[in-house]
Amino acid sequence: MTTDLPLPRVGPAQVAAPKPMRLVLNWGRRYSLWVFNFGLACCAIEFIAASMARHDFIRLGVIPFAPGPRQADLMVVSGTVTDKMAPAIRRLYDQMPEPKYVISFGACSNSGGPYWDSYCVTKGVDQLIPVDVYVPGCPPRPEALLQGILTLQDRIASERPSHASLREKLGPYAGRRASAAEVSRPLVAPPEAGT
Amino acid sequence: MTTRELTVGVGAGELATADMVLNIGPQHPATHGVLRLRVTLDGERISRAEPIVGYMHRGAEKLFEVRDYRQIMVLANRHDWLSAFSSEVGLALTVERMLGMEVPVRATWTRTLLSELNRVLNHLMFLGSYPLELGAITPIFYSFREREELQTVMEEISGGRMHYMFNRVGGLREDIPAGWLQRVQAAIDGVRARMPELESLLVGNEILQARTRGVGVLTAEAVASYGVSGPIARASGLDVDLRRDQPYLAYDELFAPGGPGRVVTRQAGDCLARLEVLLEQTHVGLDLAQACVERLLAMPAGPVNLKLPKVLKVPEGSDYVATENPLGFNGYYLVSRGDKTPWRLALRSASFNNVAVLAELLPGNLLADMVAILGSMFFVVGDIDK
Amino acid sequence: MSTFGEVVLRSLCVLIAFLVLPLLVGQTEHKLMAHMQGRLGPMYAGGFHGWAQLVADGVKFTQKEDIVPLAADKPVFRLAPALGIVSYLLALAVIPFGPHLVAAGITGSLLWVLAVGAIGTVGTLMAGWSSGNKYALIGGLRSAAQLVSYEVPLILAAASFAMAAGSFSLVSIAHAWTPWWLLWQLPGAIVFLVAGTAELQRPPFDMPVADSELVMGPWTEYTGLRFALFLLAEYAGIVVVSLVLAVLYLGGWTGPFDHQIGPFWVLLKGFFFAVIILWMRMSWPRLREDQLQRVAWLGLVPLALLQIVLTAAGVVLTT
Repeated sequence: MTTDLPLPRVGPAQVAAPKPMRLVLNWGRRYSLWVFNFGLACCAIEFIAASMARHDFIRLGVIPFAPGPRQADLMVVSGTVTDKMAPAIRRLYDQMPEPKYVISFGACSNSGGPYWDSYCVTKGVDQLIPVDVYVPGCPPRPEALLQGILTLQDRIASERPSHASLREKLGPYAGRRASAAEVSRPLVAPPEAGT
Repeated sequence: MTTRELTVGVGAGELATADMVLNIGPQHPATHGVLRLRVTLDGERISRAEPIVGYMHRGAEKLFEVRDYRQIMVLANRHDWLSAFSSEVGLALTVERMLGMEVPVRATWTRTLLSELNRVLNHLMFLGSYPLELGAITPIFYSFREREELQTVMEEISGGRMHYMFNRVGGLREDIPAGWLQRVQAAIDGVRARMPELESLLVGNEILQARTRGVGVLTAEAVASYGVSGPIARASGLDVDLRRDQPYLAYDELFAPGGPGRVVTRQAGDCLARLEVLLEQTHVGLDLAQACVERLLAMPAGPVNLKLPKVLKVPEGSDYVATENPLGFNGYYLVSRGDKTPWRLALRSASFNNVAVLAELLPGNLLADMVAILGSMFFVVGDIDK
Repeated sequence: MSTFGEVVLRSLCVLIAFLVLPLLVGQTEHKLMAHMQGRLGPMYAGGFHGWAQLVADGVKFTQKEDIVPLAADKPVFRLAPALGIVSYLLALAVIPFGPHLVAAGITGSLLWVLAVGAIGTVGTLMAGWSSGNKYALIGGLRSAAQLVSYEVPLILAAASFAMAAGSFSLVSIAHAWTPWWLLWQLPGAIVFLVAGTAELQRPPFDMPVADSELVMGPWTEYTGLRFALFLLAEYAGIVVVSLVLAVLYLGGWTGPFDHQIGPFWVLLKGFFFAVIILWMRMSWPRLREDQLQRVAWLGLVPLALLQIVLTAAGVVLTT
């Protein structure tokens, strides 16, 4: 079932907020990035390494306690996006509440990476969802993810959310919604004998 | 006169029960990656389970056919991202055998050392992530501390934290850096000294034992018929290990009588047995790595690779080489028509078979046990879908 | 007019305590967990050691889009988070911080705490039922099963304290407390702590929200403020259970200089229990639902009954 959802809107507090208020709001979003790890491949391991004691992105306020998309603010797509996986990524992105951010982590999700000429790999997750920060590498080091997070935080700090900016960001992707059926379809039945 | 029927009770008419179909995955916290399970639930009990694979299919086998033998290595170590070095070695061995190459002895021992360190890295990952699935959040921090230690020395020699790209056809890319073996020694000693802490968090915990003992028992027959291999097969009592049974690299010497190598087996076949096998294999891996370090220290300096022609062509023919990867058998079937690219390079990966058995293992268990069983199958999704 | 002002003042105090104490517990959890795992925890929000992490979380949650799924039972879905909040807010109102320092001094305050504390779980059940999500439904049913089995030992353990003091009032129980309760009421305190943890659905009893099985259990579909309310309720629950246990088992404000710093003792003792509840999350995996029921009926209930016998014997012998 595909439903024609309206484009998400930012909260009323944000539109009306005067500047000092907006600083506080941006500060809150900046240091409270509940992250949803879309762990797909090799890069997911480096993502985990980045959350571990040596690199520890929780220092920056990136909280990895969001198991589902509904509670998340930041989605990190780490790994190869395949054509079969693409509808699921789109759907999970749509389930995240605004304001939401995406980091594309690693060569595969940036552009297909070493699978650039594969028949079944989506060449870049930005074909499906708007990406805020790209982190290069195959796989990128955890430090690279930390730098990506810092870059994103700087962007959030100077952000001014409005309906127009949201439409600009999401508009080009509006036609790419994935239905529930697309992500829950069963295996293709084996062909009948003799056909 | 028409009779009016009125049924009083819970629900409409009789108490109907309906099975619930739950799609676990493709993105779910338990599937660490993108395996999807289509589970039919009766209450919390699983009546049918069907693993649906293919979400991570990246077409590596087809891409092998348009890469030359040097470039193939890039893709060969990426299907199982936790055993990158072992997968590289398998491919290098295949090509070398078809070319009839004699690899320098120093390269062979270094490869063995790095394979074992890679095995320990792989096992540490699962030792950390498995308790996480059962709800214990702390052990993974302990295991990643050890992983970082070992990754540091791996990075020093190869330049990569995960995908080492250190193998070449005919040997290794570079010689061992000065003083590296001592640092490996120190890392091994450190990891070995801290392993008891991790162990006490895992098998020393009553709740973890209660969650895993007797859960998801895999019989030796099922193991054999599904082609399950690696630690999972050995936890069900199947005494099979290619390092001993079909020695490659320097394993014939390490697994000789009196050597440090031994095959870890358990009889129970439950989740706890699989975890114990993994734990003990970590120790064995450290022992083997230690033996390699000692051997390399005693060895005179020498070449670590052979000079290759500018255009590397493999003579016509076919060959199959299987190695004991951390997760099980990993085989390459290489068919060459004499070109600089393979005509066909088929991949036999361990996780595909290991996960296929889930359809048989899961029905009858509770949903909570599903997580325990799934985690104990120690799979890497890229290794399933290639 | 003065009584009205007093009511407003008291309510305001409870509200402030309700908003501040759970945040303290949450921040403690962040930091304690981090240091137990060799990390630092939040370091940047607010400057000094990330003290404002949870404030930032709160500011962020107010800005999030409020999504109600199409398949959800909308009124129930919207109402569910409020229940948890209200129940613990009401429970907090009767907890004494000193002989006369209690927001609402009612005689049966122990009964009141037990009664309103159980309502919170109904909120979880409503959330699970109304979300229109299979994971949420399973989580909701699990929490219902958990509530049924853990209310029994919780009430039995509380009954033991009431018997020992001869009163249902938390203030009187704290007054009746003597140091030898530490030994005499120990089994009851253990039962209360374990059952309280299970009722809060904290690890190792967090099957309803088991994140590796059920994504987020009944909260799976909640976003923004409503989700934050659930989180606040969870930590407020820890505060209530810890404070009640501090009053029942450790004598509340009793301690050196308790005329001057009585409330400090209550908070310190409560903090002690809160840390234990947090610590359990960091060390243990979660139990399975049937194992949980086994612990309740074969472990806690007999232990609580034994405690009641022990208390009765003690009361009869000493009076």
